[in-house]
Amino acid sequence: MAVTIDEDDERALIEAAQADPARFEGLYDRYVQRVYGFVSRRVGNRATAEDITSAVFEQALTSLPKFEWRGVPFAAWLIRIAANAITDHWRRTARESGDAAPEMPDAGEMDATEQRAILFQLVERLPALQRRVIEQRFGEEKSIREIAAALQRTEGAVKQLQLRALENLRKGMRHG
Amino acid sequence: MADALSGRLDQVVDTVLARGDATAALSDAELAPLVRVAAELRHYPSPEFRARLKATLKERTMMTTTLSAAPPTTTRAREGFTTITPYVMASDSGFTEFVKQVFGAVETETTRTPRGVHRELRIGNSMLMVGESDQDTGVPVRPSAYHIFVDDPDGTYRRALAAGATSLGEPADRPYGERSGFVQDAMGNYWYISRSLRGPAIPEGLRTLTVYLHPASVADYIDFLTRAFGAVEDARHHDPNGRVMHAQVRLGNAVLEMGEPDPPRSMPTTFYLYVDDADALYHRAVAAGATSLAPPADMSYGDRVGSVQDSTGTIWYIARPAG
Repeated sequence: MAVTIDEDDERALIEAAQADPARFEGLYDRYVQRVYGFVSRRVGNRATAEDITSAVFEQALTSLPKFEWRGVPFAAWLIRIAANAITDHWRRTARESGDAAPEMPDAGEMDATEQRAILFQLVERLPALQRRVIEQRFGEEKSIREIAAALQRTEGAVKQLQLRALENLRKGMRHG
Repeated sequence: MADALSGRLDQVVDTVLARGDATAALSDAELAPLVRVAAELRHYPSPEFRARLKATLKERTMMTTTLSAAPPTTTRAREGFTTITPYVMASDSGFTEFVKQVFGAVETETTRTPRGVHRELRIGNSMLMVGESDQDTGVPVRPSAYHIFVDDPDGTYRRALAAGATSLGEPADRPYGERSGFVQDAMGNYWYISRSLRGPAIPEGLRTLTVYLHPASVADYIDFLTRAFGAVEDARHHDPNGRVMHAQVRLGNAVLEMGEPDPPRSMPTTFYLYVDDADALYHRAVAAGATSLAPPADMSYGDRVGSVQDSTGTIWYIARPAG
């Protein structure tokens, strides 16, 4: 169940999207979780993280013709757009919050972002019921009771599915 | 035992999701590795959000590919014209007289119409169209801003003042590599009269005259120009507060400049755009959010023209030239 981020066809995906913007979907599918994870970690608020992630992909779609393949991972380019978008967000809200703008991501944070991306890919590979529990519990922040009703399972069964899923994910990360 | 563990785990997950302090659970050897995974999963995007954003992006990419992602071409453009020609609306001949007197504009075409006069002027290697009418043509008479390159900015600045303009800034060497003086003519137009301090008077890539736009948000406006007209951004410079002081985009073989004004002052303008496929570009502009003023139609003077207005108020005549 180990997953690695396969970089082999990244260049082909980028060139396809540059030639035909309709192919941008492939890049989006590949990177949306990574970008969202990075943004969410920094802003800590789901609605804001979604707004900023949307802005990042809109900007990436607009700027894609200017992306030049020089061996710099596309993910790093997206994360830079995301970091700038977060800084812009901070500037707009600084007056209210009084917070200082965050720094640009360092190597440690990039590594954490990669690890999180691998974890999110592992979620996709969980057995269907476990995956749905994780998506609803963490992605939609639903309670065990709500998930039990949606999946027509007992609350105890949903807690068990949550436990199994987290154990599987932990094993996947350890072997990843 | 498993029941007890799943229950304890769920209590910690509740804490994690509530942005609470779950560090106590890290001392529980059985729970700790699972809590670390749960803490990361707090940043897992909602499937519904991912699907929604994907649909939005797909809609946008389909729009641009259907209507051609390529910038407009102007293989049929008239002699001396580029993709974009500023179209100045005036209530009398004051504007034409001013640019002739100050910048040495040469009138290359004069057409009398039932409602007034259509003039075409050449200034250096740029063209300008002027629509003069003392009637309501439906297109407002309003001031714009122009960046104009001349050999002698000081002399041109003085001529502008002598022709009735008021000074907005005396000629001086500017940190962006130009000697520039700023004036406002009697019609309210801003003129940024410049000479490059390096190399030839006109910097590479620019022409004698470039319209200078002042949208409230340069980022939003460039995004629109990209989607609507296939514009390509060449430069963008921010000040330390994040305000865009100067940006430059290419549209076909023409260039537009813009900067966010401080204090804000909207200066919408009017452009005549020469392209090979006016119908496609008109539809693309409308799909990108512009408001249609008139769908493309064949005009008595031979051009096929459609017109739109963008969110800043600027009007675009999108034309396939006659011939």
